[in-house]
Amino acid sequence: MSSLRPRHAAAGAQFLDPAVLGRIGNLELLARTVVDGFLTGLHRSPYLGFSMDFAEHRPYNPGDDIRRIDWKLFGRTDRHYIKLFEADTNANFSVLLDLSASMSYGSHSLTKLDYARYLAACLTYFSNKQRDRVGLVTFDHEIVDYVPPSMKHLDTILHTLDRAEAGRPGSLEEPILKITEMLGRKGILVVISDFYEEPEQVIRALGPLRARGHDVIVFHVMDPYELEFPFEEASGFEDLETGEQIPVIPKKLQGDYLEMMTAHLASLAKKFADNRIDYALLDTSKPLDEALFAYLLAREKKSKTR
Amino acid sequence: MSLAFLVPLFLLGAAAVVVPIAVHLTRRQRRNVVHFPSLMFLQRIPYQEQRRRRVQHWFLLSLRALALMLVVAAFSRPFLDRSDIGATGGGGPREVVVLVDQSYSMEIGDQLDRARTEAQRVFDGLGPLDRASLVTFARGANVVARSTSDRTRLRGALDTLAVSSGATRYGPALKVAQTILEESTLPSGEVYLLSDFQRNGWTGDEGVRLPPGSRVIPIALSEPVAVDNVMVTDVSLPRQIVAGRERITPTARVVRRGGDAARDVMVSLDLDGQEIQTRSVTLDPNSAGVVSFQPFTLSQPHTTGTVRLPDDAISADNTHHFVLSPGTSLGVLVAEGTRSADDVSLYLRGALQISEDGRFDVRGRRSNTIRPVDLDGAQTVFLNDVQIDGGSAERIRTFVEAGGGVLIALGENGGWPDSAADMLPGTIGPVEDRIQGRGGRLGYLDYEHPIFEVFAGPRSGDFTGARFYRARRLEPSDAATVLARFDDGSVALAELRIGRGRVLVWTTSMDAFWNDLALQPVYLPFVHRLAEYLGGRAEPVPWFVTGQVVDLADPDALEMAGLVSSVAAGLAEGLDQIALTPAGSSTRLPAGDGPRYLPLEEHGFYTVRPPGSEPDRPFVMAVNVDLEESDLVRIDADELALQVEAPSAVENGAPQLGQAFELRREDQERRQSLWRWLLLAALALFVLETALSNWVSRQGSGAVGATAG
Repeated sequence: MSSLRPRHAAAGAQFLDPAVLGRIGNLELLARTVVDGFLTGLHRSPYLGFSMDFAEHRPYNPGDDIRRIDWKLFGRTDRHYIKLFEADTNANFSVLLDLSASMSYGSHSLTKLDYARYLAACLTYFSNKQRDRVGLVTFDHEIVDYVPPSMKHLDTILHTLDRAEAGRPGSLEEPILKITEMLGRKGILVVISDFYEEPEQVIRALGPLRARGHDVIVFHVMDPYELEFPFEEASGFEDLETGEQIPVIPKKLQGDYLEMMTAHLASLAKKFADNRIDYALLDTSKPLDEALFAYLLAREKKSKTR
Repeated sequence: MSLAFLVPLFLLGAAAVVVPIAVHLTRRQRRNVVHFPSLMFLQRIPYQEQRRRRVQHWFLLSLRALALMLVVAAFSRPFLDRSDIGATGGGGPREVVVLVDQSYSMEIGDQLDRARTEAQRVFDGLGPLDRASLVTFARGANVVARSTSDRTRLRGALDTLAVSSGATRYGPALKVAQTILEESTLPSGEVYLLSDFQRNGWTGDEGVRLPPGSRVIPIALSEPVAVDNVMVTDVSLPRQIVAGRERITPTARVVRRGGDAARDVMVSLDLDGQEIQTRSVTLDPNSAGVVSFQPFTLSQPHTTGTVRLPDDAISADNTHHFVLSPGTSLGVLVAEGTRSADDVSLYLRGALQISEDGRFDVRGRRSNTIRPVDLDGAQTVFLNDVQIDGGSAERIRTFVEAGGGVLIALGENGGWPDSAADMLPGTIGPVEDRIQGRGGRLGYLDYEHPIFEVFAGPRSGDFTGARFYRARRLEPSDAATVLARFDDGSVALAELRIGRGRVLVWTTSMDAFWNDLALQPVYLPFVHRLAEYLGGRAEPVPWFVTGQVVDLADPDALEMAGLVSSVAAGLAEGLDQIALTPAGSSTRLPAGDGPRYLPLEEHGFYTVRPPGSEPDRPFVMAVNVDLEESDLVRIDADELALQVEAPSAVENGAPQLGQAFELRREDQERRQSLWRWLLLAALALFVLETALSNWVSRQGSGAVGATAG
């Protein structure tokens, strides 16, 4: 697996400004708006199901795919019947959403958590629409909410997302270890976080998921100010999670900061790739559709490789 | 002298000096707090801490610390404690105030010499750090030497002691002592009161309260023995016109206090410095008698006179001075209308011509025009039932503005030109008849007004008997004063002041046409009062009493003082004046816009004249002593002392000295008020520090934690 930069896959899509999405109060409506619009623009079937269950037979009509003729029934009845299959849940899809205090940061109208929430809602809605069982786990330094995967849990997930709030310090390893134990059946796990931990710690936390056979897709949500550090005025910078404060003259530090941030991102990308975890860095100022592209491309790639 | 603090506890605040240092060394950048998701990377940049923990601008830090120290010092209320200077003497240095009575009763015996001796004894007892003041007093107080330790100066001040003509008043002297003690920085105060302690000098409500730690030491100078004293208490000077000349018959009232047997007292009368008559009167102990002198003719203005008694214990009350001038008749013009009845002024003229001293010089004119020559020599004009023309009204206006008075008596033909309507105290309306019943009466009289004040007392004139059958309506203006109203409320007499003069309107006739007032006994004094008031005549005062003050810039006051009116205005408006006191000293009273007050402090004759002139009969004012001082009844000196000393010192005595000392410290601090200067200095330092800090901040904006201190 390799990391995916969504902007390369976004050509031709009609994107929605995150700020516009922010004005849609209902998460389901938001997800539907994004996903349906996204699918319309995609011009290709999103149904990439891997298994179909038998539903009924119907007489063969010219033009039907002859591969779907039930030859055993032809043997018994000497008539051609087509087997109809009912789409079935083909995967467990769970979103692991980081609610640590750092996710509450936002340099513009949308915080990282808002963006992550929209993203989670869209992906969940999207997956539910293609008949995956959808689940949700929110966590900071421990598990906050857990919605087990189910076809019927879309509303619950959207509701849980709706009231999710970031406020406490976060860490990955401990809550994800518990999540690993809770999620028995293999599935698709989408981890949405800002990953303010050392890359080694991140991999150590996510490694067990991968080891259990889950397909792990990581969305690294970052604010543009975190990526570019465009501050100018000398200020006291306060850590949202620890409350610690230090005086900073940004112009003096910007170079060092960007260097360290770039190294951090590169290190994360490399380590995720090494562990066959799909990784996408999302800028909260960029349209949400890009994340969906990233997800779809990852899924497509997975399906091809299977 | 040392620096002390009134509230030294505040000095603990000096510990606040560490605050700016600690703030600098530990402070975080607080100008603008940015919440950031994680300081994970920022914390790895290792250069902040070292710079923050090093003082970068010692000068700014010093300014802040110094400003804080000044604030702390200001709150501690520092002062230069001068009380330790006298710590060597027993009880500390004293502020001594010696009050010496100079009233004229002090001439009895050798009281003044005793006062001088006692004061000298007090000054001799002064310690090296004591200070003393000498204050003489009678009606007022005079600081001869103020808070000095110079013995020579104090002794010299004692040599100036002399008996004055004033009466004793303890209040002003004790208030001066209170002020001196309050301003003193010495821990204790003593007031020596040297007097004969007459009761009349103290009423008890003078409001004197000496500061705590002070005490009054009364020293009585008189012996409690009866004094045989005869005094002239009053002189009456009735006038009569005999053969066109004024004759005065002086009568003196003589009172004897004390004594043990009847004795004859010779009473003499001096005129213009020459004794002209002597009379003898026999007076029993504590009795009074009246001495009548032969009449004398008064021909010269400003004639001085003195009723004199032989010398006795108190000489100041043995003489009674007065000044007389021949009365000048008041020029009165009675103008009648050409259409008026022939006898329209019959009663008015008669009333004005009836006077013992010929005080009115009445002239008549029957015309509707008033010429300038008619007003020459006139002080009062009665326009009786006449309608004058506009030109005459303007002449009347000029006359009134210069101080003359006009009474407009409205009758059948009376009126006033519209062109000068502003001279009237109201608008003249139609005739109103009051013939129902028995006619109208005067319902309201302003007895406070000079015209009617002589009628205020019982049996002093009855206006209620007069009947008024007809009157003109008058709507008074805002500036007018209504002096009399009829019983229906309509105006009978109204006044308007114009310039220095006045205009009265009498809404009915002055003679017995529309009323019968002229037939009432009150008519004659009423007309006299009207004429005198309109003419501005003031009854001259034959003498003043010591302590009174005359304003020599006020013509009315001068006229009241006996100056003949023809020269009163001239003297008031003169350039400069010189007043010669009875003792012979002169006081120059320069001309100016304001008043020129001449205090009359000596008994005798004050002469006032323009500088460089030697008038034949100068303006003279007679001044007599206040006879209260001749009442030698004594007050308990200790009782007086108790009333002025601070209660705490009186009740608790010595234990209060410490408290008094503390109060002294507060007084010192309050007077020095060093804290104000310290606060100002601190403020200036803060401003300087702010400016420097901003400058430094701008200069070093590239550095982290650039602000120092």
